Amino acid sequence: MSDARTDFEPRITAFVCNWCTYTGADLAGTSRLHMASNVRLIRLPCTGRIDPLFIVKAFERGADGVIVSGCHPADCHYTSGNYHARRRFAVFHDIMEFIGVDPRRMTFSWVSASEGAKWRDVVNEAVTSVRDLGPFEAYRALAPEAERLA
Amino acid sequence: MSETATGAKTSGGGGGGGGGGEITPGVKELREIARELLEAGDVRVIIGWEDARRGARPVFVTDPAEADKLIFDARCVHNLVTYLNPRRDHVAELGKIGLVVKGCDVKAVAGLLREAQLGREDVVLIGVRCGGVLEENEMPAAVTLTPDNVAPRCYGCDNREPALVDHLVGEPQPEPPRPAQTIDERIAALEDKPLEERWAFWTEQFSKCVRCYACRQVCPLCVCERCVADKTRPQWIESSPHARGNLSWNITRALHLAGRCVGCGECERFCPVGIPLSLVNRKLQQIVAERYDYTVSDDPEQVAPIGDYRLDDEQEFIK
Amino acid sequence: MSRIGVFVCHCGENISRTVDVEAVAEALKDHPGVAFATDYKYMCSDPGQALVREAIEENDLTGVVIAACSPHMHEKTFRRAVDQAGLNQFMCEMANIREHCSWIHEDRADATAKAIDIARTIVEKVKHNQPLETIRIPVTKRALVIGGGIAGIQAALDIADGGHEVVLIEKEASIGGHMSQLSETFPTLDCSQCILTPRMVEAYQHPNIKLYTWSEVESVDGYIGNFTVKIRKKARSVNEDLCNGCGDCQAACPVKKIPSEFEAGLGKRTAISVPFPQAVPNIPVLDRQNCTLFKGRRKGLAKEVCGKCKEACLKGAIDYDTEDTFVEEAVGAIVVATGYKLYDIGREQPEGIKGYGEYGYGEVPDVIDGLQFERLASASGPTAGAILRPSDGTEPKTVVFVHCVGSRDPEKGIKYCSKICCMYSAKHAMLYKHKVHDGRAVAFYMDLRAAGKGYDEFSRRAIEEDGAEFVRGRVSRIFRDGDKVKVWGYDTLNGEQVVIDADMVVLATAMRAQDGIRELAQKLSVSTDEHGFINEAHPKLRPVETNTAGVFVAGACQAPRDIPESVAMASATGAKVMSLFSADELEREPAVAIVNENTCIGCMRCADVCPYGAVEQREICAVDGHVCGHVAYVNPGVCQGCGTCQAVCLSKSVELQTFTDEQIYSEINALCAWE
Repeated sequence: MSDARTDFEPRITAFVCNWCTYTGADLAGTSRLHMASNVRLIRLPCTGRIDPLFIVKAFERGADGVIVSGCHPADCHYTSGNYHARRRFAVFHDIMEFIGVDPRRMTFSWVSASEGAKWRDVVNEAVTSVRDLGPFEAYRALAPEAERLA
Repeated sequence: MSETATGAKTSGGGGGGGGGGEITPGVKELREIARELLEAGDVRVIIGWEDARRGARPVFVTDPAEADKLIFDARCVHNLVTYLNPRRDHVAELGKIGLVVKGCDVKAVAGLLREAQLGREDVVLIGVRCGGVLEENEMPAAVTLTPDNVAPRCYGCDNREPALVDHLVGEPQPEPPRPAQTIDERIAALEDKPLEERWAFWTEQFSKCVRCYACRQVCPLCVCERCVADKTRPQWIESSPHARGNLSWNITRALHLAGRCVGCGECERFCPVGIPLSLVNRKLQQIVAERYDYTVSDDPEQVAPIGDYRLDDEQEFIK
Repeated sequence: MSRIGVFVCHCGENISRTVDVEAVAEALKDHPGVAFATDYKYMCSDPGQALVREAIEENDLTGVVIAACSPHMHEKTFRRAVDQAGLNQFMCEMANIREHCSWIHEDRADATAKAIDIARTIVEKVKHNQPLETIRIPVTKRALVIGGGIAGIQAALDIADGGHEVVLIEKEASIGGHMSQLSETFPTLDCSQCILTPRMVEAYQHPNIKLYTWSEVESVDGYIGNFTVKIRKKARSVNEDLCNGCGDCQAACPVKKIPSEFEAGLGKRTAISVPFPQAVPNIPVLDRQNCTLFKGRRKGLAKEVCGKCKEACLKGAIDYDTEDTFVEEAVGAIVVATGYKLYDIGREQPEGIKGYGEYGYGEVPDVIDGLQFERLASASGPTAGAILRPSDGTEPKTVVFVHCVGSRDPEKGIKYCSKICCMYSAKHAMLYKHKVHDGRAVAFYMDLRAAGKGYDEFSRRAIEEDGAEFVRGRVSRIFRDGDKVKVWGYDTLNGEQVVIDADMVVLATAMRAQDGIRELAQKLSVSTDEHGFINEAHPKLRPVETNTAGVFVAGACQAPRDIPESVAMASATGAKVMSLFSADELEREPAVAIVNENTCIGCMRCADVCPYGAVEQREICAVDGHVCGHVAYVNPGVCQGCGTCQAVCLSKSVELQTFTDEQIYSEINALCAWE
């Protein structure tokens, strides 16, 4: 590994539902479960609200990996948002893999409001696997004229 | 029997007829039905195909006397359902339409019905029995279909007897020949390659894209008043034709087609830079077939897979 | 131009121990659009909130970001403070730098950098916040209760006692439901009708309850607080205002042999009848299917072939020419309490369910179900309370009770446990033994589910005091053998086959959802599960609400359950309804979706995915009035704000307020600053 790689810390954007995963992440905090600091959360009301364009935009904007997380099937606060998300992201996952995006850069999970520990594990595993994959230079290389800010 | 300007005779009826020759009973029937519909005032315009100097081309027949312009052969690749797009005001203004459709085309009509873009009573559908169409359709006359000249998408056609039609003309046709390499085989070959090679392949393909949006314009199911690609606040899809913006556009197009694409192949045919969109579209069909046991049909009551769900949908990719 | 104020909380030391809060405030000061940034020890305290209010006034702030704990903790607190300072409360958001930052990281530099990122992201979001107003919709303070069983009656009474009018609708001729068919109830062996009929009368006489019996829901329009319900009053052939319940018509009726539904087929009734003597209202219904006069009319006969009930009626209340009529009621809330029906073991079954060929498909006369046993045991039943065999009227000396017939049996299509059968089978064994002291009661069970208060003690009584034999194992075949009913079973505890020559067998059949429940659910826009039971909004925390705002559910129509639970649920719905009615207007957070009618093409994908049925199709008319298209419209009173509609909209023509595309885009942008 080059020096640049050992200094590399992935930037991961997480899209999480308010009722389950966000609250689960809160619980991880209340329980003082320490985890990697590379993940930034964006709160949505429901995974049903999450559009694959969010993920594409996150990659465009420099994310090396993304996490999408919500309520377990049958537990959606809005009954069925996560069922729709499940199909939507199954297709998205498959087509991205077909196009050549490494699926290990995208983590999908069901984390309930009581699963603080699971959230910690999801975060740590995502960070580890994306760190191993390295920065998503390939995506940035698509628009070489752009420069990294900050 | 009609003659083209070059003197070559068109053949009618189902695809696969020899060059020249008489009008088949199917074409006769097609013209008869068209004439009757126009004379009775049941429709104001028949949209079908006519003979052009090179290949067939869409024709709008409003005068019953001109119904003899209508043909059907292996050069009739165009998906005329694109004219049913409610946003095409100039077509809608003509009045009630009688549309000539192949089995693949009519699935798009079912899509429009499902998505409340059309009322069934708004259109008269004249189905033609089809044995496949040419990949290169710019022939002066119809030719016999062979593995080398047939459009790959025709192989394995599952709508040889379209149901969603008011009339069905033509003799039953032989199955389209198997192309040298089927689309499924090309996809499998791509999937055998490692991830990086696939990425290189697709980014190279998408970097050719000039964002002409011809694919969008011709697709019969791309009917939005304001496409998401044209939305600027916020601008999810960059309009610049660099590889990054193009990737975003093509991924979005793919996601919007999942479970809806009927495989008519028009987008690929129209793409001026030759992006192999049929690979993406077919891959989408494979995904919904494998995951949700879904194959698009011409039954408007069929529920599209995206927007539907089962409690036990696959979720192997979710932790 | 945005002028956002950023307030970074120390939270005592909870945040400041790990995050350099002063540095965060400093960094945010330089962020474009931020007009004011500071840090403070306890933002949620009174002085902390005062700080926010002062800063808003002094700096003309257009938005506020509190970088502190989770919004789940204090978003309401700060929104209230912001509102007090005259700034729209929805311009205030929280950046979670405690639960999501200081509490889960150790490295100060990392945590501080992350806190700055988080705060910046929320600042960028707030730049696109809109000054929304709480949504207010008027409420009609009347309730509709569908179903006049114990659950429906309880709900109606609670709401009526609470001072609101209730429309109680029951599809049978009398209220009371299945509970009126029971002889005694567990675990007390209370006489069922004795405890039920006072309630029935109370409901009938209550000034706030409007009772429609022999009626059904025809259609439901509207939304929470504003439903319009069309009710079909089926033709009774009896004028309810004139009838005084004397019963002369029933005595006069020549058709006396119709199997009585109330007696579960074990007794007979006349064509014109009340279901049972204590019926409420005590007004009969003429069964036109079996009535001689109506049969004559259907044959096209010129002269009426009967008319005995009309002749006998001294009040002139019988009218053979009545038809179904319709009435409309305006209500603000609906309670569904339609109860259950028992699984039938016969050959004819709906899709997905199978009958019990092993037990004779219900064709063996002395094999009966639980409700039939209740009628036998009932003092007012067809045998005046004596346990007698339906085939020959003799007293059975050996009765076998079979648990789990249908329930817990995926082979038959019913996977769930029906909850009450262990209890009522024990009760049946006890009742039998109380009446036939020398009788033998054998019960075949899989597990004994007696989990309520006094329930386990009750089951044990059946074994220890009344001598019922409980065999753990299933019954493989039941068939007629001469005069007896042969039962082949298995005792899994001693590993032996058991053969019993029974005189009668009582099957504890599964509880199922009522017929017609799916159609009713569709009218109400509520969903049912695969078995037809109504879906509750959340299995643990919202058991009496459905996903349709304003529609509540009580009793066995939601899942198999016993009487105390049904009553508890009914009272719970009463509380929910009264809470709904407690204000003249309903307040809702404005997290609702709004359709852009200019770009919407009316594909109605949004309507397909909305869990609440909040999306309608709306016609777009040209100036001259002709319809030129249609678009989607989201009812702000019904929309709950999940945003699934927005994600499925291909043209992005619907925006969920408080989570708009612009807001989310700006957050994504802020997090990864790569241009």
